[in-house]
Amino acid sequence: MGEDRSFRDLLRGYSFIAPLVAILLAFVFVPVVGTCIDSLYREVTFLPRAFIGLGNYQSLASDPGFRQSLRFTVLFVLASVPLELVLGLSFALLLHRPSPARGALRACVLIPWAVPAAVSGKVFELICNFQYGLANYLVQRIGLTDGPVNWLGSTGGAFFALVAGDVWKTAPFVAILFLAGLSAIPEDLYRQAAVDRAGPVQRFARITLPLLRPVFVVALLFRTIDALRVFDLVFVLTRGGPGGSTTSLSLYGYDAFTGGDFGYGSAVSVVLFLIAFTLSVAYVRIGRFGRELS
Amino acid sequence: MNGERRIGMLHLAGAVAMTIFCLGPIVYMALTAMSHRPDFLAPGAGFAFTAAHFLEVLRTESLHFPEYFRNSLVVSGFSAAFSVSVAAPAAYAVTRLAIPGRVAVLFAVLAVSMFPQVSLVSYLFKLMSAMGWINTYAALVLPYTAWILPLSLWILTSYFSRVPRDIDRAALVDGCGPLEALWKVIVPVAAPGIFSTALLAFIFAFNELLFALMLTTDHRARTIPAGIALFEGLHGETPWGAVMAAATLTVVPVVALTLVFQRRIIQGLTRGAVKE
Repeated sequence: MGEDRSFRDLLRGYSFIAPLVAILLAFVFVPVVGTCIDSLYREVTFLPRAFIGLGNYQSLASDPGFRQSLRFTVLFVLASVPLELVLGLSFALLLHRPSPARGALRACVLIPWAVPAAVSGKVFELICNFQYGLANYLVQRIGLTDGPVNWLGSTGGAFFALVAGDVWKTAPFVAILFLAGLSAIPEDLYRQAAVDRAGPVQRFARITLPLLRPVFVVALLFRTIDALRVFDLVFVLTRGGPGGSTTSLSLYGYDAFTGGDFGYGSAVSVVLFLIAFTLSVAYVRIGRFGRELS
Repeated sequence: MNGERRIGMLHLAGAVAMTIFCLGPIVYMALTAMSHRPDFLAPGAGFAFTAAHFLEVLRTESLHFPEYFRNSLVVSGFSAAFSVSVAAPAAYAVTRLAIPGRVAVLFAVLAVSMFPQVSLVSYLFKLMSAMGWINTYAALVLPYTAWILPLSLWILTSYFSRVPRDIDRAALVDGCGPLEALWKVIVPVAAPGIFSTALLAFIFAFNELLFALMLTTDHRARTIPAGIALFEGLHGETPWGAVMAAATLTVVPVVALTLVFQRRIIQGLTRGAVKE
């Protein structure tokens, strides 16, 4: 009798989860597996589908366009994520301090986060406009350069514009995460430190930073994965240009799909998927490891 | 004490810089939308107000902006509603019912949110083509629902786990089934949390671009981000006034939601990501 009932409870429990599992299976897991399978085929519009094993991956290895997009994506992560973490932490410290304007400031910081990347991409495209954009107006007003900078027409300028656009949109998200971490630090610790005559720098280095470590790992994980798969901003702001120099892996895969080469695009997507997956497993491991030690 | 005061000044300067950094591009966008010419910063150009760009965006039929707007609201609204309705029972099961593997479910779902969208999109395109659903709301609502489910589950789980157990245990003792306990006890108590979750889900769906580009080919189901990304002038050159007017109109609902529900959004975002 008892066993029967617990079995029924179990069944009922799983029935609560079943719709979620079904939707994720149908629209996430099956597509990912489908993409992995497609990557083993030559699948080009108007041609018969043919199994070619690792053929697409072999082509990737010798494809300069793929190597360029891999290089760009890694550089983009390395440039934007540290900036976002530093700026996000600074914002969080500013937002955490009690002040009459705290609510207004928090609302301000949320705005870039809420704006669609397609919109901020267009806005940054205008900011970077050669003839009359805000960026050239400012650098010439301040006197940083003699003439206007060709932001989107040069490899370095386009890269810089993308990093700026990404930092603008996502530093606020990082700030919100750090803000929650800061609020969780007990005030007593700071009071005790004040009694011990610890200065503000010491308090920050000895209390704030170590206690923010778990939040730091979460923010680093989220931001790295998001920057790795960057698509929206690149698609709108530079469209991968100039000369394909800012094509992210997501955009490279998308371009293969829209060009009708589903097998090749799938291989690009699988590589990106594997990089993202490996990194997230690594971060979670490192995060746990740290928690056990401390 | 002097040191503290210096820090106070630093904070003030920092707060001003932060505000300019966050709002500058938005103000510039709105000014360009309202300016007679986009080069109002150029020497001798000057700013002259006009509403023409807004009217152009709203009235030019070939731009389809009002349709994109409606599509975005419908698609994001349904996706958010479905995703929260599916995630709520799951969150209840994870926090309340003793089922083996519930932690595994949470982590599998977290892993899903790490997947790059590009690794799903070609299969989804083939699936939706086979179903004949390209350019319908279903082609976007189903993938969006799945895409925002991880977020919804994590945030709801965090909210539900804070509802005192005694409340729903009492309901169960009174003869309610688990579904009834969820609907009649937990949902009302956790209503603010459920609302926050739906709000975040809505914003995520509203901003999505890649699926929208790939799964729509015309204005019947195309959403605003895709519309703006593909915005092209009739004469080849980007009509900045009109683009920025469209961008400004797009930003109005998300910014309004953000300002009104600032606290809820911050709470929801951090509940999903940071365990306190």
